[in-house]
Amino acid sequence: MKGRLNKGVSSPSKFAAALAPFLLVAILALLPLLEPGSETIRLLFVTFVWVTVSVAWNLLGGFGGQVSFGFAVFYGLGAYAAALSLNRGISPILSFLLAGSVAVLASLLVGLPTFRLKGPYFAIATIGASEAVRVVMTNVSITGGASGYRIMETGTFHQLQHFYTALALAVIAMAISILVQRSKFGLALIAIREDEEAASDLGVNPFRAKLLAHALAAALTGAAGGVYARYAAFIHPQGVFAFSVGVAILLMPIIGGVGTVWGPVIGAVVYGLVHEELIASFPQLHLLLYGSLLILIIFFEPGGVIGLLEKSFRVFAYTRRLSGSHPQR
Amino acid sequence: MAPILSVDRVTKYFAGLAALKEVSFELRQGGIYGLIGPNGAGKTTLLSIVAGALRPTAGSVIFQDRRLSGAKSFRAVRAGIVRTHQIPRPFRALSVLANISVGSRFGLHAQRSASGTRDERRILEWVGLAHVAYIPAATLSVGDQKRLELARALAARPKLLLCDEVCSGLTESETLSVLRLLREIQQAGTTILYVEHNLKAIMSVCDHVIVMNYGRKLAEGSPEAMQNDPAVIEAYIGRTAGT
Ligand SMILES: Nc1ncnc2c1ncn2[C@@H]1O[C@H](COP(=O)(O)OP(=O)(O)OP(=O)(O)O)[C@@H](O)[C@H]1O
Ligand SMILES: [Mg+2]
Repeated sequence: MKGRLNKGVSSPSKFAAALAPFLLVAILALLPLLEPGSETIRLLFVTFVWVTVSVAWNLLGGFGGQVSFGFAVFYGLGAYAAALSLNRGISPILSFLLAGSVAVLASLLVGLPTFRLKGPYFAIATIGASEAVRVVMTNVSITGGASGYRIMETGTFHQLQHFYTALALAVIAMAISILVQRSKFGLALIAIREDEEAASDLGVNPFRAKLLAHALAAALTGAAGGVYARYAAFIHPQGVFAFSVGVAILLMPIIGGVGTVWGPVIGAVVYGLVHEELIASFPQLHLLLYGSLLILIIFFEPGGVIGLLEKSFRVFAYTRRLSGSHPQR
Repeated sequence: MAPILSVDRVTKYFAGLAALKEVSFELRQGGIYGLIGPNGAGKTTLLSIVAGALRPTAGSVIFQDRRLSGAKSFRAVRAGIVRTHQIPRPFRALSVLANISVGSRFGLHAQRSASGTRDERRILEWVGLAHVAYIPAATLSVGDQKRLELARALAARPKLLLCDEVCSGLTESETLSVLRLLREIQQAGTTILYVEHNLKAIMSVCDHVIVMNYGRKLAEGSPEAMQNDPAVIEAYIGRTAGT
């Protein structure tokens, strides 16, 4: 929003900024040709999945200001829906679509009763829903309950399919995020975040906008869960439905910068890369570390990495002006 | 001619406290109506009910022959009623222009086009905010925030504009310019219900004044008649002397 209504950006830099994402995607798409090794491919795959869910969370939480702790519900239901569907020989694309649809249904079940209410009801309901679904899934017998569920695909396929589906999904999520930010729908969401009653007083239907953003975010998160499940080939409720997954999904956009297009991407990359290292070195401590990080960000840099970058850029530009290397205006 | 708005025996209780007691009045198309009364008289509450933001405990609001159910202000906006807030409520992170876009893109005849249309710019020029169009609304002065309230509401193209103390906290010259704006809005065909504390401001622009006190309608009539009404003088002087 800020950028779009900001005049005075020179056109060559605007052009470069518009081109950069395409270049980045092209590089990532061609990367496997360099045969970077399976560990790098795995790390990138995981990062693409995180980017998708982080960007998805930001649609509702960042633009719309509706904080959810329960995105693990969508991620887990998507994973299970895709797993069940893949094991029945249904094509991966259809399975991922199914995963997204199941998550959308779940988003309506949580959103319909809570988005009408003013106050923190939605945030609280997401915590309850997350725990309830995990407990139920631990006891559902057709998916093996707590012991987990294995995916056995009959056909053979190239291992890079995982990499490319995850990349494609992340690109779709980014495209949706950019479109939402520029659209009338995005304006409604930001207005709701800033002051829901004032938005309604100007004709915005807050209930509808929140429900829609929640559904859109759920669809992407569910599909991401499906893509992950197919890659992992084995899922269990304590994994995909874990409360810590829901917290991780909320942490990434907050680390990167909520309410922006690129903040959640940066947050997911930081999380995707750092998280893997942290888990390896401090298997018990990583949640504590993230908790402390969250508190630091909320108190010292609510804009996240993006906010910090903008600030440092301003300080940099200012000192350059002071030092006289830049002509005064 | 049928009234554009009729408020019929509207009562509002807040947890046992009666903020409005059986208030009735009618507005005709095209007028500027003043709604005055001392602090706590129930002016803002009445405005919120007409704007659909509050549901009355009893009574009804009929706008252009349609009964408004209340409690969903965006429905009232789509019927043509838009309000401003006594304490400005800008979308702080959004630019001034984007604030106005919310009105123009979601109000009556909601536009599909992107922000920055001719209409939006015209409104910005008109209220005198063109020079701050790209600045976040959070950084505006109180006076400019009041202007933004008005601009945003106008962008939603109301048939009935509800103004809640758009002049309080403004300097004398700012007040005069806002009052001039209200006249121009009326001349463009919009009916205005203008809540104000400041008697002088009301008397200078309104054709007809409704006076409230303790949640009841005390009197209504021409500004001159109200200025000389003993009950009105009593309500005002009585209160002022008390404080
Ligand atoms: N949301 C609310 N909850 C409880 N009481 C309220 C609420 N809103 C208003 N009141 C009470 O209702 C009465 C009327 O308030 P209202 O704000 O309508 O008065 P007003 O005429 O606009 O006053 P002012 O000139 O100070 O703006 C007051 O006693 C106020 O305290
Ligand atoms: Mg008031």
